[in-house]
Parts: sequence; C-alpha cells; structure tokens
Amino acid sequence: MAHIHCTDIVKSYGAHPVISGLNLDIPNHEFVVFLGPSGCGKSTMLRMIAGLEEVSGGRIEIGGTDVTDLPPGERGVAMVFQSYALYPHMSVADNITFGLRRQGVSKAEIAPRLKQVAEVLGLEQFLDRRPKNLSGGQQQRVAMARAMIKTPKVFLFDEPLSNLDAKLREKLRTEIRRMHLKLKTTTIFVTHDQLEAMTIADRIVLMRDGMIEQMGTPDEIFERPASRFVADFIGTPAMNFVTATLEAGLIARSGSIKLQLSEAEFPSLNPGQEVELGLRPARMDLCAPGSANALTGEVVLVENMGAEGQVITEVDGAEISFVTQGFRDLSIGDTVHFTIRPEHIHVFDPKTGRSLRKD
Amino acid sequence: MTRKRFVILSLVPAIGLLATLAVVSIAGAVWFALMNRTLRSPDYDFVGAYNFLRLLRDHRFFNALEISAIWELVTVTGTLVVAVLLAVLIFETVKKPLWRNLISFAFLVPVLLPRVAAAFIWRFLYSPSLGAINYLLSLVGIGPVEFLADPSLALVSVAIVDIWQWGLFFTVILLKLMETLPRDPIEAAKLDNARTWEIHAYITLPMLKGPLISLALVKAVESLRSFDLIFVMTGGGPGTATETLDLYAYQMGINMGGRISYASAMSILLLIVTTVAFTIIWKAGKKWAN
Repeated sequence: MAHIHCTDIVKSYGAHPVISGLNLDIPNHEFVVFLGPSGCGKSTMLRMIAGLEEVSGGRIEIGGTDVTDLPPGERGVAMVFQSYALYPHMSVADNITFGLRRQGVSKAEIAPRLKQVAEVLGLEQFLDRRPKNLSGGQQQRVAMARAMIKTPKVFLFDEPLSNLDAKLREKLRTEIRRMHLKLKTTTIFVTHDQLEAMTIADRIVLMRDGMIEQMGTPDEIFERPASRFVADFIGTPAMNFVTATLEAGLIARSGSIKLQLSEAEFPSLNPGQEVELGLRPARMDLCAPGSANALTGEVVLVENMGAEGQVITEVDGAEISFVTQGFRDLSIGDTVHFTIRPEHIHVFDPKTGRSLRKD
Repeated sequence: MTRKRFVILSLVPAIGLLATLAVVSIAGAVWFALMNRTLRSPDYDFVGAYNFLRLLRDHRFFNALEISAIWELVTVTGTLVVAVLLAVLIFETVKKPLWRNLISFAFLVPVLLPRVAAAFIWRFLYSPSLGAINYLLSLVGIGPVEFLADPSLALVSVAIVDIWQWGLFFTVILLKLMETLPRDPIEAAKLDNARTWEIHAYITLPMLKGPLISLALVKAVESLRSFDLIFVMTGGGPGTATETLDLYAYQMGINMGGRISYASAMSILLLIVTTVAFTIIWKAGKKWAN
C-alpha cells in the first residue's frame, strides 16, 4: 500500500528555484511517468522522493508516512539509475543482495529471493560475473533486480533506458511494463522521451520549469493538451501551429487557410479573437480539392517513414506538415490538398499558451 | 623511423644513465664489501665473504633489521589508517569546497617541511622540560614523559612524526580521489540502507583499492629513507631502540668505526632484502587488486 503524496514541494539551489510549490498525488499501484525537457526538474523531484536530495520546503508522504526527514534507506523505495550505479567491485549476486544484507536479512532467506529475481530477469548465468563484464542491457537488468529483491513500496526509475540502444530500449521498456503489471508496485519513471512516456505510463506528469504543465493519461495528454507547450512536446512529427483570426460561425482564417472549429469543444470563442491553431500532422490526410477544412500547399519535402510518410508543404509561405500513406505518389513541387476534422483542431490562447478548449 | 626504433632510441639515454649510476655504485659497494677497508688506515686485503659471514653473527645487525621491519609496518599502516579515517571524516562532515581546500592546504604543509626541520620541531614538542606535549600532560597530572629517551616509546614517538607528515598528505590525496568517485553507486548504497561507515567500508574504499595499494607502496619505499628524521630525533637511541639498518650502516661505516667494507656489505644485504621483499609485496598486491 503506497500512494505518494507531495505537498507544496519547493527546491532551490541558493537563490535559484528549481521547483516552486509543486503538488502531486500518485495513487497506489499506479505507473506514473515524469516527462519534460531536460532541466525541468523531473529528476530533482524524483531524487527528493528518494531522499537523495533535500526538499527546501513542503512534505512528502509515502504510504501514509511522512518521509520528508527520513534517510533514503528508510523510505521503502528502490531506485534504478540511468548509469545503472552498480557496485563495480562486487559480483552480480553481491550487487543484487547488498541491500538485503544491510538490512540484516538472513542468508537462508536471501538465497531463494536471489534465485527468484535472477530467474525473472534472466540473470542466472551471470551471478558470479562482475558488472564490467556485462553488456549495458544486462547491467540495467542487474540494477532492476537489485531494486526488485527489496520488494519496495515504490519503484523509482531515473531515465533508466537512456544509455541503451533503440532496440534494447524497446525490449526493456516492455519488460518494465510487464513487471509492473505483475507486481503492481507504485512506480515513478522519469524520462525525456515522449514516446517512452506514452507507451509505458498509466499517467503522465508533464513538467516544465519546475511546474506541472499537465497531468493525465497518455490519451488525455495527446488528445487534449492543456497548453501549446504540451501539444508541441508530445507527438512526432511535431504539431503545426498557425496564428489565425476567428470569424463568425467558428471559422478560423489565416491567409488562404480557412478552418471550421468544433462548436462542442470551443463554445467560448468569439469572432475577431486572435488564436493559435494546433494541427497534428498525424491527424491530417490527403483529400479532394474543395473538401471541407481543406488546406492547399506546395510539397517542399517528403520524408519516408516506412508505412507512412511525412509531407512538408508550404502554405502561404509557412511550412505545414502532414502524415499520409499516399506519400509515394507525391513529389517536390506538387500542389496538394489535405484536410483535418474540426474535433482534431487544437486552439490556444496566443498570449498565455493555454488551451481554449472547454474543461 | 619505425615506432619500435623510436621507443628504443628515446629510452636508451635515460636507461643508460640510470644503469650507469646504479651499476657503478652497486659495483663499488660490492667491491668494498669484499675487502676489509677502514677509514683509519690505507691498508686493505681481500677477505672474500668474511664481512657477510660476520653480519650473520652480528646481534646489532639483526636488531636493526627488526627495527627496520617494525618501522616499515608502523609507518605504512599508521599513515594509511590516519589518511583513510581523516579523509572519510572530512568527506562526510565538510561539504563546502572552500573549507575542504583550506583544510587540504593546511594538511599539505607538514610534508612540505624538510625532514630535518620537522624533526627539530617535534624534538622540542616532545621535550620533557620545555615541550608543549608534556606541558599539556602535566595539566592532567601525567608526566613528564620521556618520549625520545624511553626505549619503549622512542620508536613510536618518531613514527608519529612520520605519520604526521605523510598521513596528512595522503589524506589530501584520498579526499581528492573520493571526490572523483561516481556519485551514483554511493547513492544506490544509501537507498540500499547502508550506514555511512558501511558505504565507505563496502563501496568507496573498495573502489579505491588500486590507488590505496599504490599509496602503500609509495609510503613503504619512502619509509626506507627515514634516516634524516630518526638521526635528528634520536640518533638511533636510546641504546639501539630506534636504530634502523641505514642508521646502523652509517654508524658502522662513517660515524664510529669507519668500517667501510662492513657497512658496504650491510648495504648490499639491505638492497637484496628490500628488492626481494618488495617484489613479493608488489606481486601479492597486484593479485589482491584483481
């Protein structure tokens, strides 16, 4: 039983605040991902929950216990580091069991637990080796085993996959997710990779400059971004942004672009208002000339992504890209028509960057 | 020019010079050791192994050998223990870089002192009548203690000076080495419920095993050259309580007897013993480090 409860967390280095008044609730069993660009405070937040970093203000509770002033070892958390942080002079077995031995767990009890985690993570044949004789992926498995064997209340992952190659990253990501489905231990996972976050998280906490920009399920974050920042950060290829003026009937116009917006999503918009439109490339596709919400542009570049292609076009002198399966018939210089459905158009306040969608 | 030729050409002058110096002096010592030369008279004869055989019957020589061994053991372990304890203490308690640097600087001062100067300073500190240490002891009702005149205390008292000079210096080296260690394993150990002393005993110091072995060897070699310190502080006395091999060789060869040949034989034996001992220690250390 371990929900995590952070109240008014403040962290500053000298006069420089890194995190200012952050509130966060993580229910038991949830897999939460802290996502954000580097320097947004996500790792600092994780390290404060782990107890490796002192909070400048605020309280942290884990499983109903105030752990703010407890040393890391007494918080019931286990952490997996980006650098693996294995003890270089110890064998794999000693690395994994170090924590249990420090807690004074008997040898007779350690042995079966070691066997079990080694089995789960496929480390049986490496137990006598030193970390330096293992590959990166194996080392990270050892680090995970070291965390798992303690049966902690909370798992903390600090960008654990960043040092691995793409294929291994994908494999271990699935393993971590599977491990969580089985153990159901509350988990916080820090990453700057939005795809990793989308695939692995129950909930994403998107951070920016020490503040939570948006918190929600991957679907919510993707489909209903709360701000231009979130919309821009999530999704590849990145969202197109167009500044437009509203006309009567919820029509947004910008040069030759004329788009119908969704009445249900944006009931509070007024004619004459300046807005910033967000158009996801993946939500647009080729259409016949003259279709509803059609944009017309000239192909500048076609990027082959395998099953689909990203087409970058020039519309009124600005670049707008969209994704289509029919990219193979297009070549540079062609005039193309593509469209987006009203419910997929995001509208942001150009000054504050907040979404103008109704809550 | 090939790589190999370049290596040989650049090594030859230095090795040649060193070899010449070493060979000439060793050959000279061997040459003297086979004769019965003294400073008192110009006459001499070849006596073969006589000097070496006499050494084996010389109690004072074996006493000096024992003192040398004790001296090595005490100064090397003392220096390392002091350095490890102080480095861990500073690492854990002093977090501000400015303070650490100031302490490091202060700790470097003793080793910068010439041995002879350090020896004189401590001779005054140890003095039964004028010394600061005995003054402090008298405040708590002890003493005066004859640090340098008491045969059971003299060697340890001199060793403390050596440890003061080198232990503090090694503290600085160790502290700087600890600062270069990756932080993550230490943090992982904290999360693994390790207490502070356990972190150092099980994580940081084992990670520094290589450098620690090197420091021990450096100190062992350095301890062999403590002639000046011991000579100024006790001159080998009281009696022969602090007479190491080099002091005995000096007393025999130059100071008292002027028996140059006998002293040369002793030097040759010392050379052989240390070479053999260090080879064994070096091999064992390398094995242990892996």
